[in-house]
Amino acid sequence: MLAMASIDPSSMLAALDGTTLLLAAAVLFGLTLLFATVLGIAKEKLRVEEDPRIGQVTEVLPSANCGGCGFAGCADFAKAVVEKRAACSGCPVGGSKVADRIAAILGIEVVQTFPYRPVVHCGAKSYQRKGSVSYDGVQSCVEANVVGVTQGCVYGCLGFGDCMASCNYDAIRMVDGLPVFDYDKCTGCGACVRACPRNIIEQIPFREDRMLVIACSNKEPGKLVKQVCEVGCIGCKMCQRMLADMFEVKNNLAFVKYDGYAAEEEREKVIAKCPAEVMVYFGKPKPEYAEALTQENA
Amino acid sequence: MSIGALIGVFIGAALINNFVLSNFLGICPFLGVSRKIDMAFGMGCAVTFVMTVSGVVTWLIVHAILTPIGAAMGNPEALYFLKYAAFIMVIASMVQLVEMYLRKFFPSLYTAFGVFLPLITTNCAILGACLLIDMKPEYSNLLSATVFAFAGGVGFMLAITIMAGIREHIRFSDVPRCLQGAGITLLTAAILALAFMGFTGMGK
Repeated sequence: MLAMASIDPSSMLAALDGTTLLLAAAVLFGLTLLFATVLGIAKEKLRVEEDPRIGQVTEVLPSANCGGCGFAGCADFAKAVVEKRAACSGCPVGGSKVADRIAAILGIEVVQTFPYRPVVHCGAKSYQRKGSVSYDGVQSCVEANVVGVTQGCVYGCLGFGDCMASCNYDAIRMVDGLPVFDYDKCTGCGACVRACPRNIIEQIPFREDRMLVIACSNKEPGKLVKQVCEVGCIGCKMCQRMLADMFEVKNNLAFVKYDGYAAEEEREKVIAKCPAEVMVYFGKPKPEYAEALTQENA
Repeated sequence: MSIGALIGVFIGAALINNFVLSNFLGICPFLGVSRKIDMAFGMGCAVTFVMTVSGVVTWLIVHAILTPIGAAMGNPEALYFLKYAAFIMVIASMVQLVEMYLRKFFPSLYTAFGVFLPLITTNCAILGACLLIDMKPEYSNLLSATVFAFAGGVGFMLAITIMAGIREHIRFSDVPRCLQGAGITLLTAAILALAFMGFTGMGK
């Protein structure tokens, strides 16, 4: 058998004459050729049929591989877009320009999206809630919700501010027992939606700076609502009769269909007719809330 | 070579001189891809395949190409300086082959591996196996070299799969905060290596 394959540097240098070098080049070239052939054949045999659009989308992306889209790189994002796991506007670096080009490749249209921001479906300030009892337990909505009898309405806001505590952006203040959202600070993360034990905070698409919201969640008939609240929805269906595209009454409770959001003057007519005062605007300019916020900050 | 000697080579490479736990080769995938058992096992299989094929091919390159050509020139060791370049080329090609194969037949495994699959190219356990085969006279016949390379891969698979099994349990354990993540993983690897020390002395 052959001797141990140890390399002695001095003998190596001595052996490096022209013939050895040529031979070395020839040997390596031969080996390279061999492996290139093997890999070339393997590539043909093991070809994976890939959607050609993935390559096209990858080409229009910025190739920064920054990961800002939440995927491992531009190629991964391109794959996700083609497989409809990601929106074509998902590249934060490329912006709308890249989104348009991706949309052109995929043959789809870029849909304008609205920011989703939270609103609370309860409009009863603490003094408008009936049947409240004094509650000295743990001051949190979750606890009070388990106790269950702290106020007459079992649907409405409890007012202990679990949503305020859950907000990482300091965008919620409790005013008169109701959460008030600071939409300049809010990022729409949804922490408050998850924190609310009564599930009355919902994220709605903000088409305009101010959005109309039904500020009630009570699904009982009107008579029972009147017993527990001064401003609850009584399910009279007036709004549905006036503007069926925008309003719908289910389970004695009105809902706004934001897909059919009507123009302001039509909305105003309905709001004027509503006997229960449950139609409230949420959004940026709200002077009375702004005042309350400045007072608290001062 | 007797069958007994081959079994000795196998046990020696897989258990006693385990690549990961005794020689500290191939730590990168050992720590990187040992989060889930199925992934770890897949990685172990891929490494075993690449290691076995690379071991055989590099043996062939040394004994059937480099040595005879050198001998024809008068010095059998004249072309041995090409070993490293040739070995790396073999390993890289084999990894490419495995990558294409996995992509075609096990796409989910392919995505799960991510960057660790091309990184087998730089897995020092594989180059280590090739160099050990080349260095030690007892692997100068092809059969024992093959068994050694295969056993090295099996040992790697064993180590990484055991590690993944332990790590799956660690995820549900109450690990002290200062040890969470890499700390507890390295400690686990150390204790595992101590356990494998128990195999020392089995060979002789």
